[in-house]
Amino acid sequence: MNLDFSQIVPYIPFMIEGIWVTLQFVIVAIIIGFIIGTVLALFKIGSIKPLRMFADAYTSMFRGTPLILQLMIIYLATPQLFAYDISPFLSAVLAFGLNSSAYVSEIIRAGILAVDKGQTEAAVALGVPYREMMIDIILPQALKNILPALMNEFITLTKESAIVSTIGYLDLMRRAQVVGANIYLNFEPLLFVGLIYWGLIMVLSLLGKWLERRLSVGD
Amino acid sequence: MIKVEHLSKSFGQNEVLSDISIDIEKGEVVSVIGPSGSGKSTFLRCINLLEKPTDGVITVAGQDLTAKKTNVTKARETIGMVFQHFYLFPHLTVLENLTYAPIKVKKLTKQDAQEKGRELLKRVGLSDKEDAYPNSLSGGQKQRVAIARALAMEPELMLFDEPTSALDPEMVKEVLDVMKDLAHSGMTMLVVTHEMGFAREVADRVLFLDQGLLVEQGEPEAFFSAPKTERAKAFLDKIL
Repeated sequence: MNLDFSQIVPYIPFMIEGIWVTLQFVIVAIIIGFIIGTVLALFKIGSIKPLRMFADAYTSMFRGTPLILQLMIIYLATPQLFAYDISPFLSAVLAFGLNSSAYVSEIIRAGILAVDKGQTEAAVALGVPYREMMIDIILPQALKNILPALMNEFITLTKESAIVSTIGYLDLMRRAQVVGANIYLNFEPLLFVGLIYWGLIMVLSLLGKWLERRLSVGD
Repeated sequence: MIKVEHLSKSFGQNEVLSDISIDIEKGEVVSVIGPSGSGKSTFLRCINLLEKPTDGVITVAGQDLTAKKTNVTKARETIGMVFQHFYLFPHLTVLENLTYAPIKVKKLTKQDAQEKGRELLKRVGLSDKEDAYPNSLSGGQKQRVAIARALAMEPELMLFDEPTSALDPEMVKEVLDVMKDLAHSGMTMLVVTHEMGFAREVADRVLFLDQGLLVEQGEPEAFFSAPKTERAKAFLDKIL
């Protein structure tokens, strides 16, 4: 066994930089996924049939095909179809955001349905319009219930983000491979970024626990 | 205040209410009683259109709620409702429960709404609970907050759907006391209840529903001591 961790030392700043590169698109993708997911969830529970059908078809498509395929289609087929030279960053954000929104919409839909129907009735009886009722009364209660499931989705997304290395986006994973190719040692840089991923997920988990505690006021 | 004409309601094939007509005056307190499954809750829920009537016309404070062009959301502002299971908003404090709708719907300033809310909490005897969350309250306290929440919208009419049925026996009185106080203040009230004592003591009129029909109505004293119909007699024999 020839382990030599000193070899990666010059490359540590290069790999550390990858944290921000990864986080950059993961954060944007989570936000996009959450917003589109919420809208899709409202479509699914709403009474307008075309919107409901659209949301169902959307979810079925994005859950029914591999994420890496979606990423490839967006990155490789966009120039062919629209003559637009899409950047790796935009491709990654779109693929992960759109994909995640399908899962998030199902989580939020379940959360909304789990809120006592009496809450809706109480709000309606007070003359509160649908929009305000959803934003102020129903969604906050739904979010509290689904927070663990939502955190799970964000954690998955953060980890799966490593597949953007396949389209040449210089994220954490890709940087480990680059370093490996440079120093002809693979275990050390892979282990190094593995620890970084783990650390990121830890921070995310703690954030989730903290949020859960904050939202549980009133229990 | 309330005019119900030929109200019918079906759930699929099941007719829950058939051809009910009734007038309720401003300031009147009306108790609705009847066996379970008689349609009394559905009747109450039709008044503010929580249930959409299959047929018939409902007019509240001069406004036809069943007309197509009526803004039902707006009309509901004038109709307060209290539920059997309270349905307070659990993520808001007691005071926030009271001020939410006045601020969002009536566009009151936060300050005005809070002032009004505190006044109402005082009225139902819960001034010390304004910062508490609903889950820390007893059933009786929750229901008193729910009544105050409905009153915060300054309704012209209050609907009560079995307000004491989910309470422990020792908490029934505190809620009934608040309702009595409200009745004496001249509020128009429609109360679905199993509390015959309340119906007898406080109500100006009793409606007896059975199998979706308005079988009998009258003054409480006359109704309870000498019901005119067999069905009402049979019902009262069972519960009194």
